[in-house]
Amino acid sequence: MRRYAKLYWEFAKNQMKVMMEYRIDFIIGVLSVMLEQFASIFFIKVVFNHIEQINGWSFYEILFIYGIAATGRSIHHIFFDNLWTLGWQYIRPGQLDRLLIRPINPLFHIVADRLHQDGFGQLIIGLIILGTAIPQLDLAWGAVEIALLVVMIISSGMIFVAVNLFFATFSFWMIDSLPVVWAVFNLSDFARYPLTIYHKGIRTFLTWIIPYGFTAFYPAAYFIDKSGFRELALWTPAVALVCCVIAYSFWNRGLRSFASTGS
Amino acid sequence: MITVENLQKEYKLVKRDPGLKGAVKSLFHRQYETKKAVKGVDFTIGQGETVGYIGANGAGKSTTIKMLTGILTPSAGKVTVNGLVPYENRQENALSIGAVFGQRTQLFWDIPVRESFNLLKHIYEIPDQEFAETVSMFTEVLNLEPLLGVPVRQLSLGQKMRCELAAAFLHRPKVVYLDEPTIGLDIAVKVRIRKFIKEMNKIWGTTVLLTTHDMQDIEEICDRIIIIDEGRILYDGGLEEIKVQFGQKRVIHFDLPELDSPFILPAPLLGMAEVLPASEGETKVSLSFDHERVKSSFVISEMMNRYDIQDLTIADPKIESIVEELYNRREQGGTYEQVLANS
Ligand SMILES: Nc1ncnc2c1ncn2[C@@H]1O[C@H](COP(=O)(O)OP(=O)(O)OP(=O)(O)O)[C@@H](O)[C@H]1O
Ligand SMILES: [Mg+2]
Repeated sequence: MRRYAKLYWEFAKNQMKVMMEYRIDFIIGVLSVMLEQFASIFFIKVVFNHIEQINGWSFYEILFIYGIAATGRSIHHIFFDNLWTLGWQYIRPGQLDRLLIRPINPLFHIVADRLHQDGFGQLIIGLIILGTAIPQLDLAWGAVEIALLVVMIISSGMIFVAVNLFFATFSFWMIDSLPVVWAVFNLSDFARYPLTIYHKGIRTFLTWIIPYGFTAFYPAAYFIDKSGFRELALWTPAVALVCCVIAYSFWNRGLRSFASTGS
Repeated sequence: MITVENLQKEYKLVKRDPGLKGAVKSLFHRQYETKKAVKGVDFTIGQGETVGYIGANGAGKSTTIKMLTGILTPSAGKVTVNGLVPYENRQENALSIGAVFGQRTQLFWDIPVRESFNLLKHIYEIPDQEFAETVSMFTEVLNLEPLLGVPVRQLSLGQKMRCELAAAFLHRPKVVYLDEPTIGLDIAVKVRIRKFIKEMNKIWGTTVLLTTHDMQDIEEICDRIIIIDEGRILYDGGLEEIKVQFGQKRVIHFDLPELDSPFILPAPLLGMAEVLPASEGETKVSLSFDHERVKSSFVISEMMNRYDIQDLTIADPKIESIVEELYNRREQGGTYEQVLANS
């Protein structure tokens, strides 16, 4: 574990050097993500100029959900972005072979191969949104709440990672599962709004099948009394853990299949 | 230290009718075809040996190496390297092996060579002192100094290959697998790389398993060759022995521009020389004979009596021509047992 932490740091140092080498790309990447996020928030703001509440949720409450989603996603975006490229960058061109003859975990290697600059824009936006929304919520914030929020955000990030890993793993059997990963990932946009506004089928799907509900709505609901989801919300870290275990086992199956087919 | 017993690998391929219709059909009803790439290979390689693993395109060389490195799991048979089964203990095995795969880079694409080495240092947990010594030695032998600060993606093929070699030996592995390390390189780089491999074998006793299509690599680096053909071993033995065993065979290529009817061996040569299949058109004829029984001059003069010869070349008794002859015989349709028996 400690060895991997140190190794990650060595990989990251090089990534940062490369990022600084391409300063312009770095800045444009960060700014474009921020702009994209601002646009969506602006849209919500416009909606709320006309109505007070959506399904009982106020503007700042929705902003809070949004903030958790953005921060959680940024963990995935900064540290695990390379999962997207599994098919075309590693498996197809035979680069995975290179990782398999190294004395470290190949998944770790893939993940550590890239630290994604654009994710920092996401992180900054997420923190700004949280910083804006939280003071407006009628909540008492203590150390426990803050610790819990951090745990929720990390769990949210890990759910994003697990879902992407799971679907990226299909690349072992398909030419490239990127379109599938992309389609599934886009579902997470639904989860940035209160799930109660959706039809029950969608809600169940986003809770128990692809649990994006736990990336933002449920964690936020924990802090908002009236939501009625406080208990379910406490399961968030457990859901994240289960997702990771399932995705990682599936990944290992993919690797075994690769070792027997060579493609 | 490397033992391979009855090693086999078959690939499963999805059989597909041509066109879109075929693609749609294969979605619902998959038919598999198996392709046997390695059909039962046995050998043992001791510590410090330098072995050339050669064979025609598609013979199964890369497939064997992938099983030895642990990337692929065999369909049957067994491999042990340093007492480990590579495909079962992949990561542990990886600590004591190094590899170069032809055109694929092992280095980190975007970062300078020096940083790539540094990352490898951490990946293999190479002690500082040892790492510094190794890098400075490699820098000298492979002339890496001007390359160290350059990102890998900006290197030419030859420059990259020198760095690849260094990366493969950096952690002083016990075994190094080199799958076509000299492909596409100019002669000067080839010479440097060969020298480097020999030197590493000498000072650290690194076991080397090398595949190549350049027989000069084999002549200069290897003590032993294993020839594989269509997934089976055709020959396994010392480089010197194969020369003694097959080397008395000489091959002379004749260019006969006037030849208009099928070639007939001149009567005095019947039973003494053998016609090898023509390679370029019908006007070239190659004769193979045992030079302890027949003199080259005799073959040439008999041919001159009968035909109008424009040009001729006498192939050296080099590993190149020996291997070429083995392949040729194989193409004539003999089974591999026959090929060996005939020789
Ligand atoms: N991933 C794969 N899937 C299916 N068939 C494969 C795969 N890799 C190799 N083959 C087939 O297996 C056989 C052996 O291939 P291999 O790459 O081991 O040959 P090789 O001896 O390395 O040839 P070369 O000299 O051209 O590199 C070939 O017929 C090849 O088409
Ligand atoms: Mg090959």
